[in-house]
Amino acid sequence: MNKNRPFFHYLTIGAVLLYLLVPLLGTLIYSFSTQWHKTILPEGLTFHWYGELFSDSLFLKAMGRSLILSVGATILSLLIMVPAIFSIVVYAPRLEKFIQALIVLTYAMPGVIIAVGLIRAYSNSGMPMVVVTVGAYFVGILPYMYQGTRNSLRNIQAVSLMEAAEILGASRFTAFLKVILPNIMPGVLVSSLLSFSILFGEFVLVNLLIGGSFETVQVYLYKKLNVSGHIASAIVICYFILISILSSIIVKVTRSRKETL
Amino acid sequence: MSYVTIENISKAFKGQTVLHDLNLSFKQGEFVTLLGPSGCGKSTLLRILAGLTSPEQGVIKIDGCDVTNVKAKDRQIGMVFQSYALFPNMTVSENIAFGLKMQKIPSETIKQKVARMVALVGLAGKENAYPRELSGGQQQRVALARSIVTEPKVLLLDEPLSALDAQIRKNLQKQLRTIQQELNITTVLVTHDQEEAMAVSDRIYILNEGRIAQSGTPHEIYTKPGSEFVARFIGNYNVLEGSELSIATSEREFSNRLYAIRPEAFSAQYMEDSYTFSGRVNKVMMLGNITRYEFSSNGIVVTAEHLHQSDEDVQEGARKTLYLHKKDVIPLS
Ligand SMILES: Nc1ncnc2c1ncn2[C@@H]1O[C@H](COP(=O)(O)OP(=O)(O)OP(=O)(O)O)[C@@H](O)[C@H]1O
Ligand SMILES: [Mg+2]
Repeated sequence: MNKNRPFFHYLTIGAVLLYLLVPLLGTLIYSFSTQWHKTILPEGLTFHWYGELFSDSLFLKAMGRSLILSVGATILSLLIMVPAIFSIVVYAPRLEKFIQALIVLTYAMPGVIIAVGLIRAYSNSGMPMVVVTVGAYFVGILPYMYQGTRNSLRNIQAVSLMEAAEILGASRFTAFLKVILPNIMPGVLVSSLLSFSILFGEFVLVNLLIGGSFETVQVYLYKKLNVSGHIASAIVICYFILISILSSIIVKVTRSRKETL
Repeated sequence: MSYVTIENISKAFKGQTVLHDLNLSFKQGEFVTLLGPSGCGKSTLLRILAGLTSPEQGVIKIDGCDVTNVKAKDRQIGMVFQSYALFPNMTVSENIAFGLKMQKIPSETIKQKVARMVALVGLAGKENAYPRELSGGQQQRVALARSIVTEPKVLLLDEPLSALDAQIRKNLQKQLRTIQQELNITTVLVTHDQEEAMAVSDRIYILNEGRIAQSGTPHEIYTKPGSEFVARFIGNYNVLEGSELSIATSEREFSNRLYAIRPEAFSAQYMEDSYTFSGRVNKVMMLGNITRYEFSSNGIVVTAEHLHQSDEDVQEGARKTLYLHKKDVIPLS
């Protein structure tokens, strides 16, 4: 029995991996196949769908819009949220419970409800819905930014470092820039990448708020599903590759951080 | 003429007073120690001096200027934290140079000063190491170098050695004292280790529950503890009630409530003008070159210490007579 254990372990892990990978593999093959209807294996392989996808200016534009939205919201939160979280953790830790309550709220609200609420509140206000979406994204990634930033601040004992820097004659701004920021950067970077990849795949808000007027990759994919399964598969594969690259960067940064700490 | 004065400083946290109307003053170049048990308010007082915490009431003066409302960054104070608080993203040199850079000193001068400081604290060869690559003692010395390179008016040290083992600690105590005297920096050390306080200070303030229990030179404090608290906190004083002393010595002249007796004041040789304790040796403990034992005289137990000598062996259970100079029985208030 004992001898069979490793084998048994490999078998289960293999089965789980197979279960997870088969749909992906199917999608991958489908995106490369000429026709795949009546046969077990596709009838022929082709780059045609990728060619068509990347020569479609609508796709490239949609990609650009998605990037603008997710990168924009992430950068915005880097600029505003990180200093804000820093101030709260270091100078007003009593306020942390309000942030935590806010975080629970962001989880508690289903996307559909948020979307309807936002449309009601802003559709007649004259504010472009794209801005509203970025705003909603900004709030939506608060949990990830908060966790990452706060944990980094705790790890480096930011309060003592700030005090040490101030006693050495640094203003709070200089101390934050020269001492705190370089030390929390890896953690903040991981949070940002995570936030970005979550936003990049978000569908509900983006579809309901700005779907028609500001077509993003998500919406583009949704439309293509009804036109060509091959192209939709190609989009999914591109998306998957992008997210894999991001994830591996996150893993790398996290690892190198562990080594240095 | 005092260089630093702390006048009527009080501080409370959430309605709980932790410093009660304190008055202290330090001379220029003096090495002062704030000594007291955990939680007595030493760190709080130090942080008020540094400008990291503001007092409810009172005035801090440094070099004749009222700095009570001056920000920490403008007080020209050096501080070494218990946790070192070295900047992890900077090398040893960069850490030491930080304060000088903030003062916008030309980089050539910074280089020279940093090099001199690195040599002074014995870190040559480690200039480009990061804090995480250093031992505790080395990190401690970087923290010290970083805080004195700017030639602060006052150097504050909050239990800088408490995380280190005994050997390194003793060495660093000596180094600290030497460097302090060489640069003649007014220094305030916080510790709860009375041996450390005795070893390095010119003057000791003993704090208890946010009040000053006693102040004086190490010698004064050690030989003339003023209260039961100080006697118990400093060394291994025997603290006995007058009635107990009367029983132990069979003499009636102890009218005070409490008395303190240093364990090494007992002598096996007869002395003029002394009290006599006759009794039995209970427990013997060897402490390196010192023999410490419990001695019971008429049922009253005291602790006595002798330099360890083979010709004066102390045996458990042996009968013995001890003599104690009358001046070594210190009445406590
Ligand atoms: N920021 C704070 N908020 C609330 N109470 C505090 C704060 N800082 C200190 N105290 C309280 O003030 C008292 C004195 O603390 P302090 O840190 O000055 O003691 P200490 O003498 O330095 O002790 P130790 O030797 O353990 O470091 C303690 O009872 C502590 O609980
Ligand atoms: Mg303390």
